[in-house]
Amino acid sequence: MKKIFVVVLALLSISLYAGMFGYGQGGEVNVYTSRHYDTDQKLYDEFTKLTGIKVNVIKAGEDELIERIKNEGSDTRADLFITADVGRLHRAKVLGLLQPIVTDVLIKNIPNNLRDRENYWYALTVRARVLAYSPKRVDISKIKTYEDLINPEWKGRIVVRSSSNIYNQSLIASFVAIYGEEWALNWAKGIVNNMARKPQGNDRAQVIAVASGEGDIAIVNTYYIGKMLNSSDKQQVAAAKKIKIFFPERTHINVSGAGIVKYSKNRENAIKLLEFLTSKEAQGEFAKANYEYPANPEVEPSELLKSWGNFTSQGIDLTLLGEYNSKAVEIMDKAGWK
Amino acid sequence: MKKTTYIILFLISVPIFVVLYNLIIPSNKNWTHIYNYLLKDYVLNSLKLIIGTGFLSAVLGISSAWFVSYYEFPFRKQFEWLLILPLTIPPFIGAYVYAGMISYTGSLQTFLMKYTEFNGKSYLFNIMSVSGSVFIFSMFLFPYVYLTVKSFFSKQIHNIIEVSYSLGKGTLETFFKIVLPLARPAIVGGTSLVLMEVLNDYGVVKYYGIPTFSTGIFKAWFSLGDINTAIKLSAILLLFVFSILYFEKILRQNKSYATKKNKPIKRRKLKGIKLYLIFSYMTALFLLSFLFPVLQLIQWSIFSFKNTNIKFIELTFNSILIAMISSIVIIILALIISDTIRFSGKNTVILSKIATMGYSIPGAVIAVGVMIIFINLDKTLSSLYAFLGIKSRLVLTSSILMLIYAYIVRFLNIAYSPIDSNFEKTGKSYHEASRSLGKSFFITFLKIDIPIIKPAIISAFIFSFIEIIKELPLTLILRPFNFDTLATKVFEYANDEMIHEASVASLTIISIIFIFILILRKITGDGK
Repeated sequence: MKKIFVVVLALLSISLYAGMFGYGQGGEVNVYTSRHYDTDQKLYDEFTKLTGIKVNVIKAGEDELIERIKNEGSDTRADLFITADVGRLHRAKVLGLLQPIVTDVLIKNIPNNLRDRENYWYALTVRARVLAYSPKRVDISKIKTYEDLINPEWKGRIVVRSSSNIYNQSLIASFVAIYGEEWALNWAKGIVNNMARKPQGNDRAQVIAVASGEGDIAIVNTYYIGKMLNSSDKQQVAAAKKIKIFFPERTHINVSGAGIVKYSKNRENAIKLLEFLTSKEAQGEFAKANYEYPANPEVEPSELLKSWGNFTSQGIDLTLLGEYNSKAVEIMDKAGWK
Repeated sequence: MKKTTYIILFLISVPIFVVLYNLIIPSNKNWTHIYNYLLKDYVLNSLKLIIGTGFLSAVLGISSAWFVSYYEFPFRKQFEWLLILPLTIPPFIGAYVYAGMISYTGSLQTFLMKYTEFNGKSYLFNIMSVSGSVFIFSMFLFPYVYLTVKSFFSKQIHNIIEVSYSLGKGTLETFFKIVLPLARPAIVGGTSLVLMEVLNDYGVVKYYGIPTFSTGIFKAWFSLGDINTAIKLSAILLLFVFSILYFEKILRQNKSYATKKNKPIKRRKLKGIKLYLIFSYMTALFLLSFLFPVLQLIQWSIFSFKNTNIKFIELTFNSILIAMISSIVIIILALIISDTIRFSGKNTVILSKIATMGYSIPGAVIAVGVMIIFINLDKTLSSLYAFLGIKSRLVLTSSILMLIYAYIVRFLNIAYSPIDSNFEKTGKSYHEASRSLGKSFFITFLKIDIPIIKPAIISAFIFSFIEIIKELPLTLILRPFNFDTLATKVFEYANDEMIHEASVASLTIISIIFIFILILRKITGDGK
């Protein structure tokens, strides 16, 4: 019995020490990221080869990462925070977790509309929220804009995921920014009226719903189509081949991006890594990992993305998507968008 | 010893009081928003899930227990223990497997599209719904009802049933007029266990997109970054839990009809259509609640095995290690508490209530309470850390201690109950004899009390180990950075739509629980 006590005590103290590992001594950078692609690791390795700076990666859900960095306060080990969606980048900024960074390289690599107004974050990849439709059942010439989706003609034919999803929140936020609150609420109500079914599943599930005939038009992010076309699951590929992609006028875009953490202990290294990730060399690979468009305009998108054709984006300051996020949530809840 | 017990009990109840205390903090705009638009959904969905699952799992549990107890049919003996196996599958894993199985790209529809005119739908049935969740919860939790009711049937009432038959009453009348009312305490006990699991669940409702209190707590905390609103939701959820417990008390009214002479049960031989129906029913139940999901997981594991890497070994090691440490600590605490309480005489009821409270409190709520305590502790101790030369001011909050503490709060009851009831059985005479020979309480505790109840200790260890291996909400919130368990990894994979990749880890969890259940049956004779 006594032995057990001793063992338990020893184990407990070991686990306590585990929480106190010291910080890196130069030549390191700690990345908190919600991306989990193997190609990312290859890029980090490349960066280490180039600079000798060791990259430590911590992966977790984006909300969890934000909550962690917030709780860790000035003791945080995070240097670079990478996550998907402007809404979350903006939340990190508002919570005071990031610091503004301006360097010639970053300004050159990432255009004005793809970085925070005050340079708290920079986009790394771009994705568009588009329509995936059944060419058999939908005459796409009847649709030009997102607004056309609320025409009575599409009643019971639209599938889209739930309002708790940040991509939908950002889409609505973009409408608030461009057309105002009333327009956005009216649009959300119209979509709810035209839904083929209660919102369920993720973007892939919406594509499958169109492929299987439960709905005719799905609102999805471009990269999901890429993922499905390259899935190891034959059925997913088959479903993705049954649909076509349509870019509405003023296509809504969103980004994944990165910012330097306010209390970063390896600030210089983190800036170097961010410059590397936005560079011509890294951008193609970084975007390809998730079938996205590079944020650096000098880099061509992959062949698959080119095959979908060009589009014009909304062209608004993306910071607004973050600023109107809570407004968007409220609007969707009001509209009864589950 | 006594002091230690009071300290332990105090520490266990702190998180719950923290949650209740925070109720009086004024609300903010997030709370107003949730109150206006979402609270109704949370309440209604949670109610629907409780009522639906309570009913369905009771029906499945009672019927299957009734058949294996009182009828003779082929493979009856095997069914008797096969129906325990669904407990090896945590409901959230069951939810992923079923959704995958009946989805457009799943095995079932692929088969149908190949051989019939069927065109496919995203899901063959609308499983991503409240009724779908009720099905999942009932399938993987009904054995709780089955086990409690079966042990009641085997011990207590078959004499009464035979009297009823001999007085010319039919099977149905006997069942509804005599068996059900008598079995009520057992049924209510088993069902309330199921309901606690339902309220605690985060994995199923998150994946199926059902807004409930659990998802609301997570949403408020992580999406809105607002721990106060999370606490408000937690407190309302606690009211739910307390009312269930209250109802349980009322419904139980512990009357026991133990008959002294335990004659062996005379099972009725089944023939013809009845035999066919009952046998099919039992088979279907076993296939749906265990065999199909497991076979599907094995198939997916074969697909994805090549992507399984060294990380996986680390995960398994993490899971086993933390379940091991926590269980040992839980057992030691349970022993100390239960030994003290039985000799304290005063306040026994209140003390043991506190000790057993944690299990009825949903994991997300405990996580809120524990997190707040630890953040404040770290603040308080920061000068000490500086003095010791530790650079960080987040020693406790970034340590695994927080998680272990939360496990203790939540699962102490699981170890406490078997140990306590075993102490009751053995009585106090050995202990008192040792004390009268001049040995101290502590020595007696080590040398006499513990060896006497060794089997109960082992069972208690297994119970808490199983619970911790499959625990989700607490672990998700409180685990240290870069620390994953099998359960959290399965959850992540599934929510990233990488259901095939989740299968190896899922099977590992199921196998571990399976092995422990086998050991348990060895110890207790036949798994009663």
